[in-house]
Amino acid sequence: MPEFQFIGKPTDRVDALEKVLGTAKYIDDYSLPGMLVAHTLRSNLPHARILRVDVSAALKIPGVVAVITCEDFMDHGRFGYPIADMFMLAYQRVRYVGDGIASIAAENKAALQLGLDAIQVELEELPGVFNPLTALNASTTIVSEQPWDAPEYPRGNLLTHYVVRKNDPQNELARCPVTLEEDYSTMHQEHAYLETEGALAVPWPGSSGVTVYASCQSPFINRGNLVRTLGLGEDNIRVIQPQVGGAFGGKDDLMYQISGQVAKLALLTDRPVKMILSREESLIASYKRDSMQMHVQLGADANGKLRASQIHATVDSGAYASITPFTAWRSSIHAMGPYRYDACHVDTDVVYTNNGYSGAFRGFGNTEVCFAIEQAMDELALMVKRDPIDLRLQNCLRPGDTTPHGQLLGDDVSLAECLEQVRKLSDWKRKHAAYTRQAAEPLTPGEFRRGIGVAAVFHGMSLGAEGVDFAVGTLTVNSDYTLTLTSGLTDYGTGSRTAFTLIAAETLGLNPQRFNMPRPDTDLSHDSGPTVASRATVLGGNATHVTAQRLASLLNKSAADLLGCREDEIVRHGELYIGPKEEPATFELVVEHAHKIGLTLTSRGRWSSPEIHWSMETGQGKPYFAYHFGAQVAEVLVDTGTGKVDVTGFWAVHNTGTVIFPQGACGQLYGGIAQGLGYALMERVDYDNGYIQATNFDEYLIPTALDVPDIVGAFVEKPFAAGPFGAKNLGEPGVVPTAPAILNAITNATGRRIRSLPASLERVLLGKDLRKEGSSTACKLGLN
Amino acid sequence: MKLQFNLNGCHVEIEAPADTSLLSVLRDYLGLTGTKEGCGVGECGTCSVLLDGRLVNSCLTLAAQASGRQVVTIEGMSLPDGSPNDLQQAFIQYGAVQCGFCTPGMVLAGEALLASNSQPTRLEIREAIAGNLCRCTGYQQIVDAIQSTAQKRQEVNPNA
Repeated sequence: MPEFQFIGKPTDRVDALEKVLGTAKYIDDYSLPGMLVAHTLRSNLPHARILRVDVSAALKIPGVVAVITCEDFMDHGRFGYPIADMFMLAYQRVRYVGDGIASIAAENKAALQLGLDAIQVELEELPGVFNPLTALNASTTIVSEQPWDAPEYPRGNLLTHYVVRKNDPQNELARCPVTLEEDYSTMHQEHAYLETEGALAVPWPGSSGVTVYASCQSPFINRGNLVRTLGLGEDNIRVIQPQVGGAFGGKDDLMYQISGQVAKLALLTDRPVKMILSREESLIASYKRDSMQMHVQLGADANGKLRASQIHATVDSGAYASITPFTAWRSSIHAMGPYRYDACHVDTDVVYTNNGYSGAFRGFGNTEVCFAIEQAMDELALMVKRDPIDLRLQNCLRPGDTTPHGQLLGDDVSLAECLEQVRKLSDWKRKHAAYTRQAAEPLTPGEFRRGIGVAAVFHGMSLGAEGVDFAVGTLTVNSDYTLTLTSGLTDYGTGSRTAFTLIAAETLGLNPQRFNMPRPDTDLSHDSGPTVASRATVLGGNATHVTAQRLASLLNKSAADLLGCREDEIVRHGELYIGPKEEPATFELVVEHAHKIGLTLTSRGRWSSPEIHWSMETGQGKPYFAYHFGAQVAEVLVDTGTGKVDVTGFWAVHNTGTVIFPQGACGQLYGGIAQGLGYALMERVDYDNGYIQATNFDEYLIPTALDVPDIVGAFVEKPFAAGPFGAKNLGEPGVVPTAPAILNAITNATGRRIRSLPASLERVLLGKDLRKEGSSTACKLGLN
Repeated sequence: MKLQFNLNGCHVEIEAPADTSLLSVLRDYLGLTGTKEGCGVGECGTCSVLLDGRLVNSCLTLAAQASGRQVVTIEGMSLPDGSPNDLQQAFIQYGAVQCGFCTPGMVLAGEALLASNSQPTRLEIREAIAGNLCRCTGYQQIVDAIQSTAQKRQEVNPNA
């Protein structure tokens, strides 16, 4: 591997200092003179027709300054990507508990509350759709209407349908000596970013425009929605991202509604308006990871060689599409796992219901299907009496293989290396043999049993064949010889600003300390699409690399002129430019000389992903330009008296390509695994007839420091040719295989298989749920 | 009501309703926004401060309970010249910071532990920060940062 100056070396995160000092400003830390506070009146019914919204009484309350509804926006505030089926505030109907109806701005919180109470809303309750499996029945209520500009969506409650097709699996299955047919289900997961949603809008003089500070993922999409719904031009709206206290995919659509509401209220009142959600409101109103019901059939030879898979999945998109059409497409592409098959069919139905709504969440559809296929692989291993890692090695995709989608893979594929390494690191052979022997012995209730489990992952890079995929960066040399770097992709805690800085520094041969990278601002950076789907490192990193190469070429020209030599004769040593004859020139001298000879030291670079294509009809194509691979092993200790599961050890090996920012890479891996551990064991978003049952962290449990073990992580750094300095994506894959690894370990310990998430105490102990949880009361208490 | 307490070494006096939380006094009355609100029900620990050296959730603490006592917030942790103290520096060095929203509370939880236990085990560190949720890091690098700080402090002052 080439030796780098800065890449892969220990580095401080660019924004760590202000964060440890407590001076970093998050949205609720902003306060301006004359600022109003705002709040949204939300539906407490899952599905209802809005008969009347009367805000006149609220407007008479002293201290209430403005109230808005969907009527205050262009086209009723309709927005959404890829399908515009949402509104800034509900239009005609509310479709989930928490749907916004009206929004108030007031002088203070007391007036705000009185104003909320004074809004008169008349709702006519409609039947709701709560079971995704019956959502497509002919007699079921229809949740959504067809947007006029999306003729292909939806058909009844079927939002969309995806297929993958290779040969005929039923034919193959009929001839396979070993077959498996099982159902698996996952439930919604809450992002649980510690900072709730919030935005601050500051009107320009005479309400000619508005600046919105928003704790969101994608400022450019936010601006696009504001342009569309406020009736202002792009030049009249500026979106700035303050420090974001976590997002994990969760700060898109709801944040766009909040931004739209405060922007409209600010324009109407000509005063700054801030809205911050309480944790209860955040849990009720925000979108979640979708829940999925999966039916899996696998067929294999007697020795475990996979031959066929047929998978049907139903995805609950809830009340709105959000980005679920993309996540469900990713589910379809990844549903069969990173394995070779002679035949493979995947069918995915995405349905509307009145259960909240679903959208992007780290893993982006892959987390759900990985839970199913990686448990199915373990079930198959038991049937053919093979070691689970051996079975995966026997069937896993390798360089030069063709995927079931018809994609020829390159030499970057490293799943076998990941599996081999994680086997060694976790002392798998000894432990698996010992725990398997123990599991065969009769169980004394109350006994503690250990188990070990594995799961593998492949994860397509970036958006895939559904989205236009590019990123743009800019670089400027400032008069004090610092450099300003921008990217349209945001850093909401992931560390991408640090990674981009290192890439620019490495390319230019300049110290990272010279660079500053402002947070995304639609006036200062260029649209680069949404910051989702593990796009930042490869897309933003390559855009940064291209931008820096252009600037480097300008600097080289200046240096050659200064040193009286050809460009190709210049050698770099540290920051020095060295020619064959003259004294070495410092960066400062080269910059000054560039000014003298009239060169403008700014550059802009764009990088588009390599060509990809997908046919929705044939279910074949090249869905992603490349894949990340990884394997994880979990070791658990199960209390067979209570069903309590402790994860006592965890090993993860991921094929990241070149690691650019090591502390950041480890942090992404550990953090993803912690979220996957919560998904496996405790995180539970139950919708009871549309009412979410957990409205704060006393009911929605996420892992604490005591729940997460010390994790052993390792990276397979085989350089990836199309990545910046050989890097691959990393943000999402850490979370994807964690839950099935843990559930496989539980089965190894207890002999009992849990096919539904989460593996709660009673499911581990008894294999079933003891009670139906809750009522609508808790949910209602969190609203209005 | 009138409240007075010692905040980060300075005497403060303010007038606030009796039901005002310490968190609200810090953020809304005194403008110290390093202390965060993440849940409002004492579950997440982003509002952690030290009250007479003990870690408390300021969202569940009435400001009146702080009367006459010593309150330390993240703003009181840095060195006199404004630079980070050794624990804060370790958070930077070990990559213990991602989104940063839990960081102020985590730093205070770490300090509260090290004040009472100069050589904590990793399990003791995990127990001490178990009331502070972090959704980004998986906690490992936070534990590393606190542990290394304990070791360094022990090297500098073995009798602590």
